[in-house]
Amino acid sequence: MAKDRSQGDDYLAPLKRLLVGVLVLCLIGLFLVWRVDSPRVERFRAAVVDRVVPNFDWAMAPVTASVNLVRDFQSYQRIVQQNQDLRNELQKMKAWKEAALQLEQENARLLDLNKVRLDPRLTFVTGVVLADSGSPFRQSVLLNVGSRDGIVDGWATMDGIGLVGRISGVGRDTSRVILLTDPASRIPATIQPSGQTAIIQGDNTMSPPIAFLEDSDLVRPGDRVVSSGDGGVFPAGLLIGQVAADPGGRLRVILAADYERLEFLRVLRNPGTEVIRDPGGLIAPVVQPSLPLPLSPLDEALSEAENTDG
Amino acid sequence: MAEGSPARVWGMRLTYLVLALVLILANLIPLDTRPRNWAGPDILVALTFAWTLRRPEFVPALSVALVILLADLLYLRPPGLWAALMVMAVQMLRSRARILRDQPFMTEWLAVAGIFVAISLGNRLVLAVLMVPQAPLGLSVIHVVMTLICYPVVVMISQLVFGVRKAAPGDLDRLGQRI
Repeated sequence: MAKDRSQGDDYLAPLKRLLVGVLVLCLIGLFLVWRVDSPRVERFRAAVVDRVVPNFDWAMAPVTASVNLVRDFQSYQRIVQQNQDLRNELQKMKAWKEAALQLEQENARLLDLNKVRLDPRLTFVTGVVLADSGSPFRQSVLLNVGSRDGIVDGWATMDGIGLVGRISGVGRDTSRVILLTDPASRIPATIQPSGQTAIIQGDNTMSPPIAFLEDSDLVRPGDRVVSSGDGGVFPAGLLIGQVAADPGGRLRVILAADYERLEFLRVLRNPGTEVIRDPGGLIAPVVQPSLPLPLSPLDEALSEAENTDG
Repeated sequence: MAEGSPARVWGMRLTYLVLALVLILANLIPLDTRPRNWAGPDILVALTFAWTLRRPEFVPALSVALVILLADLLYLRPPGLWAALMVMAVQMLRSRARILRDQPFMTEWLAVAGIFVAISLGNRLVLAVLMVPQAPLGLSVIHVVMTLICYPVVVMISQLVFGVRKAAPGDLDRLGQRI
């Protein structure tokens, strides 16, 4: 029986095998090129994503919307309870708002007294989440804004409250945000109020651990973690979350951003920090021109007026 | 017979591509962006293996390569490596498809499990040698196990819904010969 079949394809079989071999070699070649020159292949990846994903948004958006609708519908069952909770929370928030307003005024007064110059305010571009990474091993989302909207690699991304991640991979219409929970994410951070610097290291869990902490005794659970701006990629002072200790005693960050449902994200335009390049010139008297120019009539009049003043 | 006609073969090749695209995009839907501590099954791999063992002519190596490469690119995996491994696995299964055709399902399942575990290990090994950061081992193990658990379901759906079943003795291929 085996012979019956192979008679017809006899001359084709080696050719097919050869072609499959070439195919596998091409794929392995692509992988090796990626390993050697990853930026080029990553740009190719961004181009492919840019081409593919927005085309299917019409199909994915309704599914996403309807699943979210069903989820919301389930929450209607607890609506009375929820309403009560929200009212209580609102009351508390009003008190906080009052305190915040007073503090803001006080802060503004103090800043004015001290003539402090703050960084210019950051502006942002808001994007909608198109897709997630699709695999349980990576944590990233795709936004519907890209180089067309002026997005640049490395910019910080926030939801309304806290830092979510950084842009990595920009296509024309899409860009990818590597979330803080991704194993490849490393963010320099400062822990307030002790001022210790550390690195927030994503490890595919809900609350990433804090690494490279100089003195962990100074840090307590509940401390605020904000971005430190070291390295010049991120603006400083963006809220990341709160410190918490896991059962093993390791310090982790409970992220402030709502990772459960990322829908709209802000990409912060970072104009870049100014760099001081030259070491500074010598401070010396400016060389005067050897012959002073004759005074013009106006200058004479002025100097006369000065003399009479004196 | 309609079973082996070129129209049906090309139709099913197209069906495979469309199904694969739907599976890839379904994974991309941003429903839950929290990291999970378990990994879902890779239905795409199960589907590819099931169809290869049933009707190898429906899943040519080229379409497997394209589909998995697209998945590699969209899922942020190292591009090309998993696609190459999958093509090799599919070719290996293809050459055994005729032997496995007469065996009970258990044997087929074991063969699929063996090959899938082998390429997953190969993947991790290559990534480790080239020092590419990779997912924790536990997550990969869950991924492999879940995929293997789902394999019979995928087989059942392919047979019932898409009519991809093993060629019975006496079926003819497009040249009118016995398969």
